[in-house]
Amino acid sequence: MSEKVISRRDVLKLSGSLIAGTLLVGCTSEATEESQTSNLLEETDAPVSSADTTPLPPKKPQGKVVVFHDVKEITEPQRAQFESDYPGITIEFVDREEPARLTAMLAAGTPPDLIRVQAPIIPGYLARGIMKDMTPYFAASTLLKIEDLMPANNYYKAESPTRIGTGKIYGMCKDFSPDFTIFVNKKIFEDAGVPVPSTTDSLTYAQVKEYAANIIQRDGERIVTWGYGYGDDWIDRIWMNCLAELGQSLYTDDFSKIQLTSNEEVRKQAQFYFDLAKENLVANPLNPSPSGWTGDDFTAGMLGMMQYGFWFSAMAESDTTRGQIVMIPAPTWAGKRRNPTMTATGMVMAEEAANPDAAWVLFEWYNGGALATERASSGWGVPALKSMLDLIPNESDFQKQCLEILNGELALETPPLQFNPYLGEMDVANSWKTQLEQALGGGLSFDEMLGNIENEVNLTISDNEAVING
Amino acid sequence: MDTALKSLPKVKGRKRRIWTRSQRKTADFYLFVSPWILGFLLLIVVPLIVAILASLTNYDGLSLNTIRWVGFSNYERALTNIDVDVKFSFTRTVMWGLLNLPTWLAISFGMALILNQNLKARGLFRTIYYIPSIVPLVAAMTAWKVMLDKNVGWLNGFLSLFWPGTAIGWLSEHALTGMTIVAVWTGLGTAMVIFLAGLQNIPDELVEAARIDGANGLQIFRFITLPLMTPVIFLQLIMGLIGVFQQLNLPLVLTQVGISRGAVPPRQIYLFMYHVYRQMFVSNRWGYGIALILIMFVVVSILTFIVFWTEKYWVYSDTQGEGD
Repeated sequence: MSEKVISRRDVLKLSGSLIAGTLLVGCTSEATEESQTSNLLEETDAPVSSADTTPLPPKKPQGKVVVFHDVKEITEPQRAQFESDYPGITIEFVDREEPARLTAMLAAGTPPDLIRVQAPIIPGYLARGIMKDMTPYFAASTLLKIEDLMPANNYYKAESPTRIGTGKIYGMCKDFSPDFTIFVNKKIFEDAGVPVPSTTDSLTYAQVKEYAANIIQRDGERIVTWGYGYGDDWIDRIWMNCLAELGQSLYTDDFSKIQLTSNEEVRKQAQFYFDLAKENLVANPLNPSPSGWTGDDFTAGMLGMMQYGFWFSAMAESDTTRGQIVMIPAPTWAGKRRNPTMTATGMVMAEEAANPDAAWVLFEWYNGGALATERASSGWGVPALKSMLDLIPNESDFQKQCLEILNGELALETPPLQFNPYLGEMDVANSWKTQLEQALGGGLSFDEMLGNIENEVNLTISDNEAVING
Repeated sequence: MDTALKSLPKVKGRKRRIWTRSQRKTADFYLFVSPWILGFLLLIVVPLIVAILASLTNYDGLSLNTIRWVGFSNYERALTNIDVDVKFSFTRTVMWGLLNLPTWLAISFGMALILNQNLKARGLFRTIYYIPSIVPLVAAMTAWKVMLDKNVGWLNGFLSLFWPGTAIGWLSEHALTGMTIVAVWTGLGTAMVIFLAGLQNIPDELVEAARIDGANGLQIFRFITLPLMTPVIFLQLIMGLIGVFQQLNLPLVLTQVGISRGAVPPRQIYLFMYHVYRQMFVSNRWGYGIALILIMFVVVSILTFIVFWTEKYWVYSDTQGEGD
């Protein structure tokens, strides 16, 4: 009998075989999936004649539901309550602060059952086939009735990635708010000797800038009180809403290009926000918000006007600002009143959800059960269900005033914005901030800045278009 | 023959060994090192190979259904002028390294030298200087923001006592300076402790002998302390160099609310790793982002190799001169 010593070479051979095997398995799986789903957007672009509303047979779901979510929005006691109310179903959280984990799960073909999203990503998810059509679940539900859904949920309805608003239902928002209303600190206006804007008539954006210039207070080069704040993470959504007043779009019809330099109206809007930054009327890359977020500047009494949605009313009153603030209607760019939500944060179910039926139980509980009632009563946004509108807090003078304005804004029934399926949520804003700093510092002219943003964003669109359409 | 064999008495002997002593030793060796070999293969080699493969695709981090082979086009984009921010962010990273590394090394070494002397309350000072290293990054950065903010910061407030209305953008127009101050402060304690350990390993008799020979403090430092500390400086330099190219958190936590897809650090501190983060997490260019990381891996490897190559010229070794 020959005796063979295990050599280092043998070990290396064995390891090599293991790696090769692993890679081959991975490659085979990818190749198969690729061949099945090429040109997804073109396939899904075909209009859906009608949503499939066949009710699902009743079952008693069991097992683990994996949720990619903000762990602060479903607390430990709430999770325990759910697991006690629905024995047999357990929740496993993946914190949304770990986006790399979501990527890893999607890559491994084991996505979370439920994913927390915001409206701008929905067309992109749909184009990639990430979301499951939840229409049959809604059709069968007694808790989440389709006719009870507020119009903001239309962001989660789609006929195709480029046709949002009607069609199959892919999820719903947890709550929302018309995001263009403005909170005004009356004391800062009074200190500056400027009359407080009307709470009934909407301002124009030009008037907002004028007010900001009149109320800002400086000490030499230092800014003591700021004039105006807005969410610069949402700059493209703001432009889209302003353009919609004129029936225009930020993108070409096929969403293959952003139009910044060629559309005079967009240039005007970009110039408006550039001037605000140049004159230091708003926090900007060269003069950042002292607290890192303009919302905190407002509650600290350092900001005169804050353009945020109704949801901000839940935190706008601090010890410093209590009794000093009012909410006023959304301003207009070209005279037509609009006030959509531009985030519509909510939840969708993954197409490859491992436990969809149990996931639906959690989805229903989160959006229509005790937790939804609790959210609606807290004032952190408008409930996503019509039947819960009465729960919005209406006790203090400030709450009553906000509710009055809110009702006026909801009555506008602003249709959803159509986001670009080839862009991520922050592509435009990220590019805007990067280029704006250079332009403010004198390194770029305004036109060069716009050109650079357009080139950067168009490159991203073209990359993602190639990914989706092949 | 059979009968003859059967007639022989059965010998009760030891079982025949399957493996020889040498084989058993080899098997034991591999058994003991197998966790590390497996770990190395599964956690280093396999991910590296997968990363190399992913860098040759258009992977978007969202769906494997749409993944396609793109050859070397990601590398082409990075190494040509298609993505101008690659060169820009690399240059900013080098600038940051050139400013931060020598400052950090010099100050922490200087502090270690001072605290290695026979001072009163030496232990207390060592503790005080080490505290920044154990403060959580976010808490420390919040404190620094309060001090360095352009409009409400304490530093500008103090300067305004002499020059009213001073508004220096320590974290915007002068972000590189601001971040270096904070980075040196944060890293001071750990580096100082390592230098102190090195200083305490210098044999007293060498210093005593030099004193007896008439050497002054500067000469002792120049000819004894510094040469004997070069291995520690070398170690710190290598670690610092790698850290410079891996830096992502500090620019974002210091100048923004934190790491989020909407956060953009000032251009002065637009470091390479932030550009990678932006490509992957903002624009869903995972294949491209991984290609950038692999390019950086090669660059850092080359730089590390160069530093190792210079070792023989300036790093003291106990084996130097052996056999002469």
